[in-house]
Amino acid sequence: MWAAFRSEMRKMWKRPATWVTLGLFGLITVADLFGEYRRARKDPDDPFFLPDAWSLILGEEVMVGFIFASVLVILLVAAEFSWRTARQNVIDGLSKTQWYWAKVLLVPLLSALFLALRAAIGGSFALAGTDLAAGAQWFGAAQLAALGGMFVTGLGFASLALFVAVAIRASGPAMAVWFAWFAFGERLVVGGLGALFEGWRPILKWAPIMTFNRLRDYIQYDSEAFRMAAERAVEQERPVPELEALGPAFAGSFLWIAALLVFGWLWYRKRDL
Amino acid sequence: MTSVPGTPIIQTFGLSKRYRKTTAVDEISFRVEPGQVFGFLGPNGAGKTTTIGLLLGIITPTGGRFELFGGGSASDLHAARRRIGATLETPNFYPYLSGRDNLRIVANVKRRDAAEIERVLDLVGLGRRAKHKFKAYSLGMKQRLALAATMLGDPELIILDEPANGLDPEGMREIREIIRGLGERGKTIFLSSHLLSEVERTCTHVAIIQNGRIIRQDSVADVTSHGVAGLRSADLEALAAAVGEYPAALWSDRRGDRVVAELDDGDLAALNAWLGARGIHLSHMALEARSLEDVFMEATGAAEGVSAEVGPGDAGSGSHQLGEVR
Repeated sequence: MWAAFRSEMRKMWKRPATWVTLGLFGLITVADLFGEYRRARKDPDDPFFLPDAWSLILGEEVMVGFIFASVLVILLVAAEFSWRTARQNVIDGLSKTQWYWAKVLLVPLLSALFLALRAAIGGSFALAGTDLAAGAQWFGAAQLAALGGMFVTGLGFASLALFVAVAIRASGPAMAVWFAWFAFGERLVVGGLGALFEGWRPILKWAPIMTFNRLRDYIQYDSEAFRMAAERAVEQERPVPELEALGPAFAGSFLWIAALLVFGWLWYRKRDL
Repeated sequence: MTSVPGTPIIQTFGLSKRYRKTTAVDEISFRVEPGQVFGFLGPNGAGKTTTIGLLLGIITPTGGRFELFGGGSASDLHAARRRIGATLETPNFYPYLSGRDNLRIVANVKRRDAAEIERVLDLVGLGRRAKHKFKAYSLGMKQRLALAATMLGDPELIILDEPANGLDPEGMREIREIIRGLGERGKTIFLSSHLLSEVERTCTHVAIIQNGRIIRQDSVADVTSHGVAGLRSADLEALAAAVGEYPAALWSDRRGDRVVAELDDGDLAALNAWLGARGIHLSHMALEARSLEDVFMEATGAAEGVSAEVGPGDAGSGSHQLGEVR
């Protein structure tokens, strides 16, 4: 398995798509968070500093990183079928098990990489505005928990990408299917089934994307950020956010991740290369 | 797993692969002994690549079984595949990696020392182009890189699927020389091809596959040394009919102004006497040498419409290429 994973690392490192994806994501993230940094420099009443800035750094836009990570998973996996290198690797002596589970290791690696890149870029800008000398706690348990939850979200999206890549075996169609499911497919299916079978609605709320998304709301992890969000909601006469029980969301996400990886494995093993 | 002397390197027992409506490989049985250069000959779509895919574990059989190096269990086969160097269909490599980096991936999978890469690159004459990307290689270079990859780890069995495909006569000659060199070093080689003369020039043994079935297998020497009797007489109709009834005639055919027949016992005198007793007097009788092409045509049956033709790249080499079944 280690030999297979080392090969994966070499292939990923040398693949232009890896650097294009990382570079593009880096540029988007810098543009997004540098904007916050500049705005804060101009407006001292709305500072951009740690730890408060984590709610922005680990906000909605974290999803962009998961999209890039999933695209890269699809590119790294599906192309192996088009180039028939998946077949050649097995001919050369890897077992199908080794081949598949070496690919599975890309899922946490890339999820963590894109999340870490956003945290590092955002953290760097925000750190510049943080008064460390005053003893500000720039990173704590809340942020660690948020990063953990978001990492699991990333795992979920990337696992779905791996499953689709292994099932479809072609990068373009696999990306199209992944995007379609992510953007509207799941909502359509859940909406349709919910309309047909009312009793299913509580279960349908646990469809994969919905389940993964439960873990990527930063204010659920940071009580101070939650308090501020609630105050803002009251001021702006918007619905006040609710604290969710994260335990079931974590359990549901892990179940979906395990199911996607195992079904992907069974599907891959069953079909000829 | 070590090989026991005398154990076949490959042995199949009624191996089959059926897709929904198609039978790609139909209960084939053959054996490849150590040191043989075994040609697996058949027209496109005959089942050659599927058979190799089955042996390499990338296609699951629907019937029968096979052994590699004497072992047939899943773990035996996985271990055996580490002793095999193989390519299937076109050379399969990462287009964005250089030839050398592609071999690094293969060496890593095969758990071989990276130093071996330079040796095999030199062996196939790619040493100076090893740093170029695979996607920039010509087809001949790709085929040579595939050969280099199969040789990594000094495997005991080398399986090559149409290694001369798409090569010009010079490229084919180079590949043939490399394969011959491997054979001379005692490697067992299993080589599929639809190029008759390539198999004849390169292989020691041959199996002919058509429509998923093996219809002939023997050593190339035996297959081609069984001459056919070429016969002429004033009444060709009567001669053809009589030879058709001759008990020792495996088959007979009327070809132009003569009748040809393969004799079970090779005894021309007995045939002559038998025909004489029926009032047929021969004006010509000779044992004619056969090429692999003749054998192939006889085995597959001209009636099925398998044509032998000179391939576009083969004019200079005289290689004959099997056409599609019409």
